[in-house]
Amino acid sequence: MNKEELIEKVNTTLAEEFETDIEKLTPDANIKKTLELDSLSLVDMIALIDNEFGVKIANTELPKIQTFQALYDYLEANMK
Amino acid sequence: MKTVFRDAELFDLIPQRPPIVMVDLLQNVTDSGAETGLTIKEDNLFVHNGQMQEPGLIEHIAQSAAAFAGFKGYADGGQPRLGYIGEIKRLFVYARPCVGACLHTTLRVLGEAAGITLLAAEVKDGEALVAEGQMKIFLKED
Repeated sequence: MNKEELIEKVNTTLAEEFETDIEKLTPDANIKKTLELDSLSLVDMIALIDNEFGVKIANTELPKIQTFQALYDYLEANMK
Repeated sequence: MKTVFRDAELFDLIPQRPPIVMVDLLQNVTDSGAETGLTIKEDNLFVHNGQMQEPGLIEHIAQSAAAFAGFKGYADGGQPRLGYIGEIKRLFVYARPCVGACLHTTLRVLGEAAGITLLAAEVKDGEALVAEGQMKIFLKED
């Protein structure tokens, strides 16, 4: 999967799960605000990422992943 | 370290007390999950007409999650921490198990973030799947 395919799959997966307009998922957009995640639903995103991409986001890494671009980069660096 | 908890031993891990205790076994605990059990007795509060009702199965899943959460505090060398249920979702109940049934429940950690753990639970009576669902729990800070 190249970067463009990764971005498309991330956006499609997250937009569908959290019922958000996919057009709002831009690289610089804040993930929590865009997907309207609270502390309870944040763990849903972590589980979804693990299930769909096989990447576990550690608690220590989470604060660094604020934007979709940061998420794409993290997944690209950690996907096997 | 103790790794199997039965009956009253579980009182070290969960806040519930008889007659509302809905888990009587915790075993095979790992970072990614655990197994719990419950033998359904006739005097169980959630038994009606010889069958465990749906709220009893939900409570069993909840207390299984609480025992798992309590074990984490115990394993860290401290006192068990109280676990709260944040959400129950994707819950399906397929059958009402009868008195005498030994429920076997598998818990699997799906994700963790900001102190909240998302667990998947599968409750079986023998080989039959009785209920399944997901539950979010968080541990009370000391």
